[in-house]
Amino acid sequence: MNKVFAIAKKELTAYFKSPIAYIVLILTISVFNVFFYMIIDQNREASLRDVFKVMEFMFVFLIPLLTMKIFSEEKLTGTIEFLMTSPITNTAIVLGKYLGSLIFFTLIIIMTVTYYFIIEYFGQPDRMSILTGFLGIWLEGSFFLAIGILTSSWTRNQIIAAISSYAILFLLYFSISFTNSLSGPMEAVVRYAGTWSHLGNFTVGLITVADVVYYLSGIIFCLILTRFGIENRLWR
Amino acid sequence: MILAQNVTKYFGRFQALKDVSFEIKKGEIVGFLGRNGAGKTTLMRILTSYLPASSGKVVIGGDDVEKNSLAIRKKIGYLPETPPLYSNMTVNDYLKFAAEIKDVPARERRNRINEVLEECNIGEVRDKIIGVLSRGYKQRVGIAQAIINKPELLILDEPTSGLDPIQNLQIRKLIKNLEYERTVILSTHILSEIEQIAHRVLIIRSGRIIVDKSLDMLLKDYSDDQCAESTLEEVFVKLHSETSEENNE
Repeated sequence: MNKVFAIAKKELTAYFKSPIAYIVLILTISVFNVFFYMIIDQNREASLRDVFKVMEFMFVFLIPLLTMKIFSEEKLTGTIEFLMTSPITNTAIVLGKYLGSLIFFTLIIIMTVTYYFIIEYFGQPDRMSILTGFLGIWLEGSFFLAIGILTSSWTRNQIIAAISSYAILFLLYFSISFTNSLSGPMEAVVRYAGTWSHLGNFTVGLITVADVVYYLSGIIFCLILTRFGIENRLWR
Repeated sequence: MILAQNVTKYFGRFQALKDVSFEIKKGEIVGFLGRNGAGKTTLMRILTSYLPASSGKVVIGGDDVEKNSLAIRKKIGYLPETPPLYSNMTVNDYLKFAAEIKDVPARERRNRINEVLEECNIGEVRDKIIGVLSRGYKQRVGIAQAIINKPELLILDEPTSGLDPIQNLQIRKLIKNLEYERTVILSTHILSEIEQIAHRVLIIRSGRIIVDKSLDMLLKDYSDDQCAESTLEEVFVKLHSETSEENNE
């Protein structure tokens, strides 16, 4: 378990030693701030519902930038050989890397908590729905990170890793638009597979088992695939 | 210490290793020789459990590489062909990270890092970012990483490439110093180096071991029919021209 933290720490310091962390942090927060202002100005209500929707949309674009190098860079520089010949299990490598990116992502979320204080100061927001909204957006980002780590483990090229995760995230995010042309069980499946309806519930204060299971099983599924993906044993 | 039996490795339809068998005893220094692409790196990767063999068996210190790879990895220090370094870390941070994931107890880490910094003669760059170091320094940081957990078995893939003659000498001395404590396997293109440190050589050609002899024996065998003391280089060239003739038949 200590080794998981050692890897997570290494990942986190790697973020902060390259400009990408600062660019992503500043860019994300600035864009969020602009949208926060616009949404509050237009809706004139003390709710973060639409802000979460915008955050979700932005994360579809941002998270692949955070995760693209996690495994592909190690493959490119050969450091993966160092990790995989050290006395550490592949599971611990995957968990450590996931934990590192999760902490960085959580930092972004924590910085957006200021929006709650702003609307609390000017109005009477529904605290419960804001709390569940933050939980929902955090779960969704965590799911996106797991997808990004998975695609990063497929290739030694960061660009290919990023584009593959964009493809998957777009499919999940925009799948709601296909439901119009579908009907019956097919529609239900596509609706459940997409992210849209799940976060929607969280932003209005609803925590349902189906939504939580959706995110958690998605995360676990991606991490297990990553775990087996980095195993050289498969193509002997 | 190491027992390899009929190790074979395919990459797709290409056969990189053909029925490789050998035994290495504790405390031996063994040189893997061979031209580029002969299969030295593949063999080393199988020994370190980085790559699985297609068939055959490798046992290191009583543990099967296939079944017990985690136990094997605790015993091994490995320097791959390109030193596996994180270019944005400092030497000190990198060695600390290596010590952490290689089971060096927390209390001993600081001491152990100082020891390897000294042994590899890289103390003066400990706070520098690895990315800005010269090839020679990077190579020595790579070696420092490999010996940080005092492994019983040290596997070095071309440890002296990119070093100047003085550093070369230092590394040879370092490997010599480890001699009585542990087993060392190294590969190199510089044959005169092997002559100076190895007890035994394995010459690999196109995935096959064509020579497995102690160095003295090998040199003696080949000097007899020439009536003069031959160098390893002459033997190496001779062996490779012989076998290519065989293949042409």
